[in-house]
Amino acid sequence: MSNDLSNDVRSGDQFGELLEAYAMGALDAGERAALEAHLATNCPDCVPALQEARWLVSQLAYAAPEAVPSDMLRGRLMKIVREEAAREAPRVAVAAKSAVPYWMWAAVAALLLVAAYTSWDARQLQRQILDVNDRATAELRSREKIEEELAAVRREARILADPESVKIALATSQPEIGPLQANWNAKLGLVVSGQKIPQPAGDRVLQLWLIPKAPGGKPLPSQTVRPDANGNFVLLVANPPELMAETKALAVTDEPAGGSPQPTTTPKWVGGVS
Amino acid sequence: MRAFEQLYDRHCRLVYGLVFRIVQQAGSAEEIVQDVFLQLWRNAAQYDAARGPFLPWLLTMARNRAFDNLRLKSERQRRREDQTEEMPVICTVPQFEKQLDEKRRAARVRELMTGLQPQQKRAIELAYFEGLSHTEIAEKLKEPLGTVKSWIRNGLLRIREGLQATS
Repeated sequence: MSNDLSNDVRSGDQFGELLEAYAMGALDAGERAALEAHLATNCPDCVPALQEARWLVSQLAYAAPEAVPSDMLRGRLMKIVREEAAREAPRVAVAAKSAVPYWMWAAVAALLLVAAYTSWDARQLQRQILDVNDRATAELRSREKIEEELAAVRREARILADPESVKIALATSQPEIGPLQANWNAKLGLVVSGQKIPQPAGDRVLQLWLIPKAPGGKPLPSQTVRPDANGNFVLLVANPPELMAETKALAVTDEPAGGSPQPTTTPKWVGGVS
Repeated sequence: MRAFEQLYDRHCRLVYGLVFRIVQQAGSAEEIVQDVFLQLWRNAAQYDAARGPFLPWLLTMARNRAFDNLRLKSERQRRREDQTEEMPVICTVPQFEKQLDEKRRAARVRELMTGLQPQQKRAIELAYFEGLSHTEIAEKLKEPLGTVKSWIRNGLLRIREGLQATS
């Protein structure tokens, strides 16, 4: 086999022997030129065989020794991508007069990548589009939920820190469980918290009640809560149904899931509002 | 963004491993991998899926960039530039191809490479990872040109058969 094959007459089979080396970029100039001239004839054997040879050659990448890029690389790359996505977002958002957040446009851009990655399989593409949609919706819901939780936490912190808040200890007659602590701020609301409180049986919950000062007044039902696995809970009542001045005491009972319109058990904790 | 992160997480080790094997320098390898994935992010629309699957394209791009980084000039570079386009080359996944996950595929390809005759393995590595031509490999190994060609072709065919048998 000479290096300069421009004048060589070869059969398709002979050219076929060069395809893997061509796909690797290992052919010398003469062979390469001869093969390219042959490929230009759209040889029905060599053209598809070359496509498969390219796939085969790409598999050699797996033979490289395992190596792991640093986390810093990932951090740098994602930072650049996030910044570019953020810069791109306002332009797209203005054009579309849409309130869609930038990350969603980034998701669309990413979808393009994913689409490119798999678009030879239309069904898979469809699944991925649905998946991205679902994730975008879930992300929106999750963000709203997080924002609500953040707002609640901020309000709780303000109630606990405000010197105008009234501290109310809710004592219990059961020695094995500790007391609850309530902080009631006339403007911001009421926070009740407990630690190491046993979880009610089954799906039952703890329910807060406001006991009115008015003679014969019925306990006003408030919110319900279930302590977490560690027995901790924080209950925020942003808008208590009664003014603090009109409330004699707070009480907490064990109630069925969802709470009750009136207490069905004896209060476990009670604390007077001074 | 999340899909891009998943794409990166899925393929970064393979791409980095390939690039590091070629340039042999961690800092350069990371720069190249960053460039490759940024190009992917910025030019996703240029990828034409009708021309072939994604991963061979990504690996071709990474390999080209790694060789560019080594500043291989003259004939070797020209040959590569002629033959491997920046945008995807047409590539077909063979019928027998099975969707092995990357870990198992890597193990299989390494096993198949190890199973080759040492000369076949060495010649393929010089061509793929070091970008040498048939003639350059023959000179380096001090072996006849025809022998080197046979080593590479027969070695690759054995790998293909091995992958086919795995499926």
